[in-house]
Amino acid sequence: MEMKKYLKIFENIDRILIALIVFLLIIGLITISSASQQNISLLVGQLINISLGIIFLVFLSNINPKQFIFYAPHIYILSLILLISVSFFGFESHGAKRWLNLFIFNLQPSEVIKITIPLMLAWLYHRFQNTINYKTHAMAFFILAIPCSIIFKQPDLGTSILIFISGLIIIFLSGLSLKFIFASIFSFSISIPLLWSTLHLYQQNRILSLFDPGRDPFGTGYHSIQSMIAIGSGGLLGKGWSYGSQTQLNFLPETTTDFIFSVYGEEFGFVGVIGILIIYFMIFYRCINIAINMQSTFSRLITATLAFTLFSSSIVNIAMVSGLLPIVGAPLPFISYGGTSMVVSLSMIGIIMSLNSNKSLIAN
Amino acid sequence: MDLYQFKYTFKKRLNFLLFLIIVIFIIVIIKFFYLQIIKFNTYSSLAKNNSVKIIPIAPIRGQILDRNGEILAANKLIYTLELDPKRKPNIDKIKQRLTNIVKITKYDIKKYNKILRESHYSSTIPIKVNLSPVQVANFVSSQYKYPDITLKHKFSRTYPKQKSGAHFVGYINRINKSDIKRLKKLNNYQSYRGLDHIGKTGIEYFYENKLHGTPGYKAIEVDANNNVLRTIETIAPKHGVDIYLNIDYKIQKVAEKAFGNYKGAMVALDPNNGEILAYVSKPSFNPNLFTNGIDENNWRRLNDSIHKPLVNRVVSGVYPPGSTLKPFVALAALENNIRRPPFSIMDKGFYNMPNQSKTFKDWKKGGHGEVDMIKAIAVSCDTFFYGLGVELGIPKLNVVLQRFGFGSKTNIDLPNEKKGLVASAKWKKNKYNKKWYQGETAITAIGQGYTQTTPIQLALATSKLINPNTEIIPHLQKKNNLPNTELSSNIKRLVSLNDNLDLIKKGMSLVTKEGGTAAFIGRTTEYNISAKTGTAQVFGLKKGEVYDEENLRDELKDHALIIAFAPSENPKIVIAIVVENGGHGGSTAGPIAKKVFDAYLAENN
Repeated sequence: MEMKKYLKIFENIDRILIALIVFLLIIGLITISSASQQNISLLVGQLINISLGIIFLVFLSNINPKQFIFYAPHIYILSLILLISVSFFGFESHGAKRWLNLFIFNLQPSEVIKITIPLMLAWLYHRFQNTINYKTHAMAFFILAIPCSIIFKQPDLGTSILIFISGLIIIFLSGLSLKFIFASIFSFSISIPLLWSTLHLYQQNRILSLFDPGRDPFGTGYHSIQSMIAIGSGGLLGKGWSYGSQTQLNFLPETTTDFIFSVYGEEFGFVGVIGILIIYFMIFYRCINIAINMQSTFSRLITATLAFTLFSSSIVNIAMVSGLLPIVGAPLPFISYGGTSMVVSLSMIGIIMSLNSNKSLIAN
Repeated sequence: MDLYQFKYTFKKRLNFLLFLIIVIFIIVIIKFFYLQIIKFNTYSSLAKNNSVKIIPIAPIRGQILDRNGEILAANKLIYTLELDPKRKPNIDKIKQRLTNIVKITKYDIKKYNKILRESHYSSTIPIKVNLSPVQVANFVSSQYKYPDITLKHKFSRTYPKQKSGAHFVGYINRINKSDIKRLKKLNNYQSYRGLDHIGKTGIEYFYENKLHGTPGYKAIEVDANNNVLRTIETIAPKHGVDIYLNIDYKIQKVAEKAFGNYKGAMVALDPNNGEILAYVSKPSFNPNLFTNGIDENNWRRLNDSIHKPLVNRVVSGVYPPGSTLKPFVALAALENNIRRPPFSIMDKGFYNMPNQSKTFKDWKKGGHGEVDMIKAIAVSCDTFFYGLGVELGIPKLNVVLQRFGFGSKTNIDLPNEKKGLVASAKWKKNKYNKKWYQGETAITAIGQGYTQTTPIQLALATSKLINPNTEIIPHLQKKNNLPNTELSSNIKRLVSLNDNLDLIKKGMSLVTKEGGTAAFIGRTTEYNISAKTGTAQVFGLKKGEVYDEENLRDELKDHALIIAFAPSENPKIVIAIVVENGGHGGSTAGPIAKKVFDAYLAENN
């Protein structure tokens, strides 16, 4: 009897979703272990990250969705404060100031924002759901623009674009008029030369080298070439676990974080890559299905947007290591080593599960 | 929008996004198929030899030329022998092995070690530069003996005019740690791959971004013995852009010759558009010394000299303006409607402060007799200006001085420009925590107070007297479309009445006529010159400075100054000259101005 009471906390867990995610987590651990050349302390660290993330997931899946709505503005403000304090107390790593030292662990507020912005925007549209008009959209845009511009200045162009896009998706899903969308795309593209001229030289350089890795063949361009060699030399079936020569001979940078997918691609080949892509798609598809069956504006928007955020983070990372996109520095959700990213990704799933299990609670 | 409609739109758009994402997935899968299946063999062999090397291809630096295409900075092809520091070469052995081909001197070794310490990108380092064709031929014919020594050809910067114009052309030097820091901050470091040099001063520094170009690179596949198997990718470098200057080198030469062995500065510009025609800072230095890293002796000789040859005096030299400030002081009086002719004073050679026993002397014993404003400018009457200054007061004077650009940078296209100083009571309070005395107002009005200017400021201010309604920025780089913008609002207007300007210019035109302070340069000229001479007292020693008679005797002589333009009716050229310790402005600086005018007007008429 006692046992059953404890098991109750797991009753909101969506079985399909959790199975897929556990599968990714295991693949991640296997790949990290190869990429770090069986560095035990790194593996233990990632296990701690995962455990922490799972605790968040289970905890959030048991939260009453009404609480999310109630607390959305609070945690949005809190995350903004964290983000701003990064520019005062944060420390730098890899050329960007994006970390906050909280003594026990280092927090990356720009990852936390990935949850709080969708919550805040969904709260906004939910609150004004009967009177959504251009004012609501303008407000949403404002809520989105503040953190994005702060992250852009850190400078972390990659994350800021990712977050901006996830915010735009929520605005798009909330019915921003197509006319307006086309008009703003048009006016943005004609004002590019003007915006360009207002940028500093170093900002222009940064953007140029983003779109043209040839400008920096010794930095990110070099990494891009090495990453493609790693993936390409994996072939159909890969070189096998811990046999990736590019990885083991340190030709690749950041093998446990940003470039972990190159390691995976080299060691598990095209078949392995297709496998992972299918799992990512299934997770995404499952979330979209959940979103469509939701019964409130808030739940629908949150579920869809969190799903898109997870998806775009994954696809940007994969496209980056395969040379489709410039190197911007973004982790691969559920697989890359890293505490904040892991906890945030699993928390997103926890929120979706809570909303899914309590559809009728906040139905319209 | 009602809720039903919201739900409908939401579903439709969600489906659209889903479709978009499926497309993205397909693109990603195609990319991986391409990398892992189609290109498998290529990448597999690349990975096996793990062998991609990226070699930078340096761009060629742009040249610097005068307005007629005369070359001031160029690139010369040179041959060098270089060593790879990663192989830990034994210099003494290499020196011996090379004895038949070229002599490696102590100096070469010293330079090699210096570059080794400071080199920024891991690359080969020259042990011998500038090989003669015979030496190159000898080396090539027995190259198999020297697998550890590389013969390289590269472009080396040369300054064919040597000392002439060195201050504005500037020089390049090897990239050092502080340059790297700065470049990293600008996020521009990557564009210096394969390059060893960077502009340090002058045009070389200011237009560095245009001059240096963008390096290209070659991605090559090499085997374990570093033999090139094939080229994977080549991106050509973008060469630097040539910079044309407004300088007319013929005039430049005349000006430098006229300056002789004096120390000081001279700048000539076109008052109609700010184009700088000639630019002299003396003493000068040979910029070629810096190109491949200056050696210690030369550096010490230049840097420690009491004559400061490395200081660019036109923009960084700050001098008391002396009487060259008087036209602007006079204008300030007219703007405030005081001392307008026919007002005149009776000058007996001294000025008594009102309510005080203090007396200020004129430079001419016995005085100039009856003096109005026009005569005061022509004969540089101190007595007239002492009284004018005291009556006008410092705040009103400074308003006009600042309008003419004193106390702020001219924004000329050169680095290290100084702002000069327009002194005020507030400034003195902050600086020395002392009160401003009325006597200081009197001497400020004749240019001997705390107020200080750079030669380029004097030239710009004079140009503004001529063209008060044009925005003038002195510039060295030749531009196709001249920024001859009219001043937009009344706030920016320099003077309230053009009549005021005419009075000042009338006074200046009389300076070179009989009775004026530079009369003798007017006697032999066919066109009319307007000018104002100045003599600036070199102030005594600063607190704590030791009096060193031998070095300072010359230093305590007065500076000679002149501002001038010609022809008076339709000015085409403005000049500002400071001759350090040159005595009187009219007699030392005047003839230099005249020679430059003669040359320029002869060419441009």
